[in-house]
Amino acid sequence: MIAVSPLRNSKNDREEEELMEGFSMEESDFPDFCVGNLLDSIDFDDLFVVGISDGDVLPDLEHEMLADFSSPSPLSGGGEEESDVINPPSSLSSVENFDHDEIKSASSSENATTTNNAAIVINKKDDEPNVAGERGRKSMAHSKNPMGKKKVKVDWTPELHRRFVQAVEQLGVDKAVPSRILELMGIDCLTRHNIASHLQKYRSHRKHLLAREAEAASWSQRRQMYGGGRVATAAATVKRENQHVKPWIAPTTIGFPPPVTPPIPHHFRPLHVWGHPSLDQSMMNTWPKHLTPPPPQPTWPPPPPHSLPPPPTDNSFWISHHHHHQHHVPTPGTPCFPPHMPPTRFPTPLVPAGIPPQAMYMVEQPQPPSDIHPSKESVDAAIGDVLTKPWLPLPLGLKPPSVNSVMVELQLQGISKIPPTTCA
Amino acid sequence: MGSESSAQYIHMVQHLIEECIVFNMSKEECMEALSKHANITPVITSTVWKELEKENKEFFESYTKKREEKSSSDQETETSQRIQNILLDSSKKINDQ
Repeated sequence: MIAVSPLRNSKNDREEEELMEGFSMEESDFPDFCVGNLLDSIDFDDLFVVGISDGDVLPDLEHEMLADFSSPSPLSGGGEEESDVINPPSSLSSVENFDHDEIKSASSSENATTTNNAAIVINKKDDEPNVAGERGRKSMAHSKNPMGKKKVKVDWTPELHRRFVQAVEQLGVDKAVPSRILELMGIDCLTRHNIASHLQKYRSHRKHLLAREAEAASWSQRRQMYGGGRVATAAATVKRENQHVKPWIAPTTIGFPPPVTPPIPHHFRPLHVWGHPSLDQSMMNTWPKHLTPPPPQPTWPPPPPHSLPPPPTDNSFWISHHHHHQHHVPTPGTPCFPPHMPPTRFPTPLVPAGIPPQAMYMVEQPQPPSDIHPSKESVDAAIGDVLTKPWLPLPLGLKPPSVNSVMVELQLQGISKIPPTTCA
Repeated sequence: MGSESSAQYIHMVQHLIEECIVFNMSKEECMEALSKHANITPVITSTVWKELEKENKEFFESYTKKREEKSSSDQETETSQRIQNILLDSSKKINDQ
C-alpha cells in the first residue's frame, strides 16, 4: 500500500492536473479532498510515504486540500460530490488519513479511473449530490478556515519540508507545536493549519518507519539468537564470515584434548585400560555408543558435572541417537555444548571443537544427531523442516554461491531448468 | 523458469546441504539424502555443493579434515573396541577354564 500510493499519486496527479485544466469547476462544487490533495500529496510522497492510516484528522485539512485545489475559483463552503468523485484513487491514501468521511469518497473515487474522472464526476454529481454535499458541508463545518473561504495551496517542496523537519527536531518531535514550528520556519505563506496537517503526516510517517525498523531489528535479533550470531544482515554478514573463519580453523588446531575433558563428565571415563591418552580421547568420543553410562567421572577438571546442564544435552551428543534418542535435542536455540565453551561459543554458530562436532551444531533445527551416523529420521526431519519453512535461517550461514555460476555449472551438466520439471 | 525461482531453488538446496553438513554428512550422503527426502536431483545437489565449496573454501577444508579425523578415529575406535572384545572374551575363557 505504502509503495503503491506514491506511484498512484504521482501518476494520478498529472492526470488530475490535466483534468483540472480542462475542467471548469463550479464554484460551489468544491472538492473536499480534492486534487489539490493530490498535488499536496505528491510532494509528501516524495518525501515520505503517505501510507498512513491515522484515524484522526485535522478538520482543517480539508480546507487545506480545498485551498490546494488549483482551480481558479475560490473554494466555497460546500464541497460537492464532484470533488469527491474526482478524487483520484491515489488521493485515497492521503484522504483517508484525514477524515473518516472522506473515506467514502475515496472509495468511490477509487473506482473511477483518473481519465474518466471528469465524465464520471459530472455524472455522479447528479447521483450523489447529497452525500458529497453533506460531507463537504460537514467537513466545512468542522474546519474553520480562519481566513474565511480562501485557501492557499501549500506546496511542500523538499526545501520547505526540510525546514519543517529542522524546526520539528529543534522543538522535539513530540513537543513540536504547529505555532512554534511556524515561528521557527518563519515562512509567511504558511498557515498554522498547513503546518498542523503536515506535522500530522510527518508523525505518522515516522511512527511507521520506526515500527518497521523495530520489527526488522527484533527479527534480526531473534535470528541472531537462534543462529548464534548469524544475523541476516549485510553488515553482519561480513562479521559472521569472519567469525566463521576462525572456528573452522580452530578445531584443527585445538585438537582433541581440550574438548574431551569437560563434557563427558558423568558419562565416561577414559579407558584406562589402554593407558593411551590419545586413544582414550578419541575413544571418548565414540564410547557413548558402546558403553552404558559408567561410573561418574571423577577426574574431570574444568567444568564439573554439575555445572553442566545435565543429561539431555550431554546425551545428545555423546550418545548415539539410537541409544538416547528421546533425550535428544535441547530445545532449539540452546547454545551448543560443549559446556566448556558455552558462552563464547554462542556467537559462532558452528563450533566444531573437534570432537563432538555435530553436537555443536545445535541450532534451530531439530537437532543434528551429532553423531557419526545421523539417523534417518533426524535427517528427514531436518530436511522436511527446510522444505516447509524456507524462511528459517541457514544453520551454517555459508556464503551462497552466485546463482549464475550455479546455473552455468548445471547447464554444463545438462540441466537447463531448475527447479527441474522431473524429479530425480 | 524465472531467475527468481531458480535463485530460490538454489537457496533451498543450499539450506538443505547446510543441514546435512550439520549432520556431518559427506557430499555423497547429502546427495542421497536430498534426493530421497526432498526429491532433488543429485547432480543439482552436487553442483550446489561444489559451488558452496568454492565460496567457502576454508570452511569446507576444515570440514573435510574433521570428517577424516573422525572417520579415522572411528576406525581406531572400532579397532580398539574389537581388541577390547577379544580381550574380554579371552579373559572370560581363561576364567572359565
